[in-house]
Amino acid sequence: MTALPAATRSGSGYWLASMVSMLRWQLTSLRLVFPVLLVVQVLIAAGFTVGIGLFFDEVPAPVALFLSTGASVITLITVGIVVAPQLIADEKASGTYDFTWSLPCPRSAAVAAWVVVNAVVAIPSMVAALAVGSWRYGLSFQVNWRVATAVALVLTCASLIGYALAHGIPNPNLTQILAQVFAFTIFGFTPINYPIDNLPGWLASLHRLLPFYHMGVVVRDGLTSGLVGEIAVSYLTLGAWTLIVGGITARALRQRR
Amino acid sequence: MTGWTFRAQNVNKSYDGGKTLANRDVSITIEPGEVYGLLGPNGAGKSTFVKQIIGMLAPDTGTITLGDYDLVADPDAARQLCSYLPQAPMPIDSFKTTEAIRLTGAIRGGDPPAIAARAESMIEALQIGEWRQILGAKLSGGVKRLVGFVMVTVVPGRVVILDEPTNDVDPLRRRLLWREVRRLGELGAAVFLVTHNVLEAEKAVDRLGIITDGRLIAEGTPSSLKVADRGQLRLQLMLVPGTSTPELPEMVDQPTRVGNNLVGVIPEEKAPDAIAWAQAQMALGIAEEYALGATTLEDVYIRLTGHTSAETEVVA
Repeated sequence: MTALPAATRSGSGYWLASMVSMLRWQLTSLRLVFPVLLVVQVLIAAGFTVGIGLFFDEVPAPVALFLSTGASVITLITVGIVVAPQLIADEKASGTYDFTWSLPCPRSAAVAAWVVVNAVVAIPSMVAALAVGSWRYGLSFQVNWRVATAVALVLTCASLIGYALAHGIPNPNLTQILAQVFAFTIFGFTPINYPIDNLPGWLASLHRLLPFYHMGVVVRDGLTSGLVGEIAVSYLTLGAWTLIVGGITARALRQRR
Repeated sequence: MTGWTFRAQNVNKSYDGGKTLANRDVSITIEPGEVYGLLGPNGAGKSTFVKQIIGMLAPDTGTITLGDYDLVADPDAARQLCSYLPQAPMPIDSFKTTEAIRLTGAIRGGDPPAIAARAESMIEALQIGEWRQILGAKLSGGVKRLVGFVMVTVVPGRVVILDEPTNDVDPLRRRLLWREVRRLGELGAAVFLVTHNVLEAEKAVDRLGIITDGRLIAEGTPSSLKVADRGQLRLQLMLVPGTSTPELPEMVDQPTRVGNNLVGVIPEEKAPDAIAWAQAQMALGIAEEYALGATTLEDVYIRLTGHTSAETEVVA
């Protein structure tokens, strides 16, 4: 005999079970596009590492190191802020969003599952960027344990920005456009693939307040030795941004039209 | 917990800063085990209403409760206690049928062996077993709809909301689907059915409400709603394709033509005159056949809303 629910579920067991189920749901949802997504991300990461190096006859080792690590950070950010919101906007445009939205899963568990999905797409691309850098420029990275914290923090922050963008904006077309704007801004005007001192003073000051530059710093700190400084400031700034964006995301998820 | 009665009271919902009134003072109560149908033309405010139950929209004013739970204040509880099949397509292109059903059951908090057993019995009951291992992207619209139905009811909530569940489903499986809808009621769920398929709803529901322009204009059992039409008959004329609508005698009320199908209501005592008129139309080569029968809910619906139902359009 099928039993109807006697009460609502709550507690950490419910949260964890929901998170795991939603993760399975989201990964299966992406099954058909996943291989293409992965290949495209890996190509972008590899393209950045090799492509920018082609501007120079000979790439000095510190520059090569900067390029390879920069490409690995950019791939983490773009998956969260550009690719993920586009996937959600697609769901909204096709009308399938209503069902996913109505599933009985705590919103925070759905967000956590989404961060993990982003990691599954982004981390292989990040590794590809580093592998290509190592092959093309003969680099060796000095990976330390902080890389795990850095990658987790960058992915969480970027995924939350993307999630808030996708769910908070009712019009999926606007989300698509904003995602593109983010992509070009991150590629062109964000000091991840080049030193922050190369920017005009005002833009450099602005970037010291925004999260993106600091995303580059913390990941580089985990992959290299002595390439970046002021790690604590970057961790603090990025941590603060993650909390702020988390709050915005929670608000976006609570809002009902 | 005092019971699981679903109660919406004086729900008002507007869009565009109050310019569009989608729901006006809608009050609906559904008891556990009851199948309630909400009928109304496109844009009447049906889907807006159900989206407020599930917490996707918030009412401007009014309350929606399920037993002791306030579904407006607690959308998390609403999602846990209500199952919802939206009118929109299901996102199952990359899922195999059984996978989609079992995973949704798990998200709904079901126990895996129980989910598997009920999924299997529902797949059998709806005769969709041959598509068990097929990806959603390869399913026809109707089968996808049935899979969606199993997904949301494999672990049913206290309230099961079905927004146009029979869309794209073939006639045989529609019947099977209605049987499963009745079974949800037998399990004790309050079934909230949203449709513009009047004729089918008549057979499947215990009680129904008719909504138009956001307002609930009639409510009752199918028989009680037809009371006002007692003493009347439904005259149906199948016109020869390409002919224009003939001039109708005065006795014909609420005439509607969809395709070549002309339908109207006549007083019972005028039956001989109506038959004579219909036969004359056939003799003139305007009509191919006619039928005279009891009025249906469709006629009530047309009288109250001024619209024909989508089903009539399909039949024609």
